[in-house]
Amino acid sequence: MHSLDSIYLLLGFVEIALVIFIQWQLYTINIIRTFSIGSFLMAAFFLVAGLVSKEVYILTLAFLTAVARGWFIPRFLVKTLKRETWREREVKPVLGVASSIIGSLLFAILGYLIYSLALQPYMSTNLAAVPIALMLQGAFLIISRSNTIAQLIGYLVMENAMYMFGYIFPELPFIVEAGIVLDVLGIVMISGIIIRLREDSLQNGDSEFNELRG
Amino acid sequence: MLLLLSLLQLTYILLLAPLAAGILAKIEEVLESKKGPSIFQPYYDISKLFRKESIVPSAASPFFRVAPYITFALYLFLTLVLPIITAFPLTFGPVVDFIGGGLVFGAAAAIKKLAAIDSRSNYSHLGTSRSASIGALSEPIMLLIFIMLGVLSHTNNPYVINNILQTSQTWYLSLIHWFVSAAFFMVLIVETGKLPIESHGFGELGMIGQAMEMEYSGAELALYKWGSYMKHFLLMNVFMNVFVFPFFVPMQLNVAAIFWYMFINFLKIFLLLIVFALLEETVSKYRLFKIFDFVAVSFVFAFLAALVFYTTSSIGGM
Repeated sequence: MHSLDSIYLLLGFVEIALVIFIQWQLYTINIIRTFSIGSFLMAAFFLVAGLVSKEVYILTLAFLTAVARGWFIPRFLVKTLKRETWREREVKPVLGVASSIIGSLLFAILGYLIYSLALQPYMSTNLAAVPIALMLQGAFLIISRSNTIAQLIGYLVMENAMYMFGYIFPELPFIVEAGIVLDVLGIVMISGIIIRLREDSLQNGDSEFNELRG
Repeated sequence: MLLLLSLLQLTYILLLAPLAAGILAKIEEVLESKKGPSIFQPYYDISKLFRKESIVPSAASPFFRVAPYITFALYLFLTLVLPIITAFPLTFGPVVDFIGGGLVFGAAAAIKKLAAIDSRSNYSHLGTSRSASIGALSEPIMLLIFIMLGVLSHTNNPYVINNILQTSQTWYLSLIHWFVSAAFFMVLIVETGKLPIESHGFGELGMIGQAMEMEYSGAELALYKWGSYMKHFLLMNVFMNVFVFPFFVPMQLNVAAIFWYMFINFLKIFLLLIVFALLEETVSKYRLFKIFDFVAVSFVFAFLAALVFYTTSSIGGM
């Protein structure tokens, strides 16, 4: 196996383990930090890939990933938290934590099955199994939580999976890859503003919208 | 010769298991900027308990008094069959494989639970039900871990697994091995009752293991305590010698090397004790129902190892 491919698989499984960890955590700050770590790891991978292939555009992507996903988005999400950051947590997840951890694992397995049934015959390596699993896990994170920030992180995990998927097709033009990195920024900013606006308008009264509080 | 080495291994575990517990307590106290008890405190406790009178609840059956002796004997048996100071099987090594060893551990735990129920004490029943409901989830994980090690080595023998990990760099560095090790570490915390799972005080809220031996006193309590030190020491040895750091364990019969290794082995255990002490000083206890989340994560790690195996195997790199 090509050594970069091995590193790719290592990164992929570490990302899967990190999603499981996110699924385990109820405190919002831990979720955001774990996502940040995952993004930095991905940036490190692109840095290595860029240094190996000596392509400037991969190095640029590594830099953009680190800045946008590792640093800016987590920081912005922490800023949108209204109460003290250490206090903010999900009170009542839609699904029990233990069962959602197992659920996430099952989706990872489903991802592998989908890959092996549909894509494996056309692929020379098994790399694509990992982003598919990661994408399903991100989707599951969204539906298993009612906290807005956790849902947003689930969406970002799906985006990360897309981004990792992009690596398998090296002919993808730079503008597409950079687009994937940067289009999340807009979504996160707008969601952050909506979260803040909603909290301001719902300041008094315990309504059912409190569940959705980010 | 092998028989002599078996006896040496037995004495090694019997004598040093309480010391490991004493060192752990000492490190924790030092981390809390306290002086702490002597590292030989567990020996003093055990010898004091042996000199004390035994009191048996009037409602208990004769089984209550026999159980500590049986569990102690089972742990003694386990010391003879696991790779502790040698990486080649000693006289009794071929008797059981990993699953057999797991069954003996399970048998000891089951006897302990039966005796706790037999004591008719509410606290013991509380501890038993907690321990049984956690064990029902953690033991299948242990089995899954052994199955994954079987995938790695095509056998269930701890000695062979040690030799393979000691000699094959590919397997030692493979993600399968490290996921399995992570899962085993989490199960180790559950089985040895370390902090995110169990706090050691007589607070009813957190009691699991201690509640089960609540009604014991005298020599029986001493045997239970000694037995549980041995169990922890054995599991830590399996973790270090088979999973995380299989190196330096002598693979050939060489008495001098084995004697040297006994010191190295204790050093390995000492490093693990430092990790445990740091863990115990930094995390707080989970509420009881949160323990299942922890167990679920360890299950996921054991299962991810299988997923890694399938993803990497068909490419032909492994």
